[in-house]
Amino acid sequence: MRRYLRYLIIFLIIIICFLLQTTFFQTFALAGVSPNLLIIIVVSIAYMGGKNQGIIIGLICGLLYDFIYSDVIGLYSLIYMFIGYINGFLNKIYYSDDFTMPIFIIGISDFIYGISVYIFEFLLRGKLNILFYIRRIILPETVYTLLISVILYKILHSINSKIETKEGEV
Amino acid sequence: MKKKSKLSLETKYVVLILSIIFIILIFVSVKYSATMSPIKTAVGTVITPMQKGINSIGRYVSDSLEQLQNINNLIEENKELKEKLSTIEYENKILQQDKYELDTLRGLYELDQKYADYPKVAATVISKDAGNWYNVFTIDKGSNDGLSVDMNVIAGNGLVGIITEVGHNYSKVRSIIDDSSEVTGMFLKSSETCFIKGNLELIDDGRINVEMINKDVKVNDGDEVVTSYISSKFLPGILIGYINDISMDSSNMTKSGYLTPAVDFKSLDIVLVITELKEALY
Repeated sequence: MRRYLRYLIIFLIIIICFLLQTTFFQTFALAGVSPNLLIIIVVSIAYMGGKNQGIIIGLICGLLYDFIYSDVIGLYSLIYMFIGYINGFLNKIYYSDDFTMPIFIIGISDFIYGISVYIFEFLLRGKLNILFYIRRIILPETVYTLLISVILYKILHSINSKIETKEGEV
Repeated sequence: MKKKSKLSLETKYVVLILSIIFIILIFVSVKYSATMSPIKTAVGTVITPMQKGINSIGRYVSDSLEQLQNINNLIEENKELKEKLSTIEYENKILQQDKYELDTLRGLYELDQKYADYPKVAATVISKDAGNWYNVFTIDKGSNDGLSVDMNVIAGNGLVGIITEVGHNYSKVRSIIDDSSEVTGMFLKSSETCFIKGNLELIDDGRINVEMINKDVKVNDGDEVVTSYISSKFLPGILIGYINDISMDSSNMTKSGYLTPAVDFKSLDIVLVITELKEALY
């Protein structure tokens, strides 16, 4: 039963981050872009918890985005799910004290996320100027996301270890 | 550690099955977009009030910060404005005389002042698209306030966009600078039509594309472009912006140029929704 407590807490974090991303960080956008908090959550949970959790959290984030902002249901769910799944493999090299590795993979994941959004939403409509999109949207978003992830990953990590000690008590 | 790790299915098969489901879902939602709207509305109805709450706190903080910064500027501005006011008062009198003349001339021409007569509802912008790729935003009025899909949204004196989705207490607006937006425009002077397309690559310049201008049309930089009569969704005669940098296309058949929107999209706070649909008019 305790396992469901974990998902409840993570779900609450997702909602809070989603709300912040769509309101607060839109007002405080740097260089015209806002950070991608959802990808930080998906990657950190997948890195700390493994493939299964990565898939579930990726799905929840993707569906939330799909239902609220996307015209097509399923695209963002797929992208987030695969990011969660692939990062789940890195759970094997997870060290509790390592804070550089997760931030590194969050950066790479956000970059891949940006590229895949470009491919599905812009390249397929015949917009070929990929360098512009990388320079204007993808790279600034990655950098901003990295900055935020330094703080957010530590918060998520401490929450995760608290839940784990609670689970261990049973 | 977890005891329930003996799932009957391996993870990679779960991923495979889910991917197939979602790919099917993508096609379903492209083909039959109406089937998904109840779920979308349900999620939106829950999330929107929360966004509204956070946004009002954020706005309060940024407003009060701005207030502190602005006091000095305001004193100077006040002086300038007072000087301006006197000249404008004089101009206003001349304009009033002109308006009287215009009204009588309009009466002769049997034209209506359509633009001012549209019924409007004011709404506040509460959130923007979570990603950085689109210019879609949410406003705090929905079907409860009589809004529906395809209603035009304006701000100040120019076109902002069109409503693409309506929930009970929120609506989604796609702005004309969005990369997937297309509007049929018309030059106020010559009544010739053109296509106005949003383009993400031009967003930093604050401009959007204008295409398919007839090569014989005489246009000058700074000409006003309004929504045209032939558009199926946009009401006619709403100011979109001002054209500039017109050039001949490589095909030598059409011209294209750039348009500076009349609305400042960076500081969009309150918008007006015209609660009249184009279909209902004609």
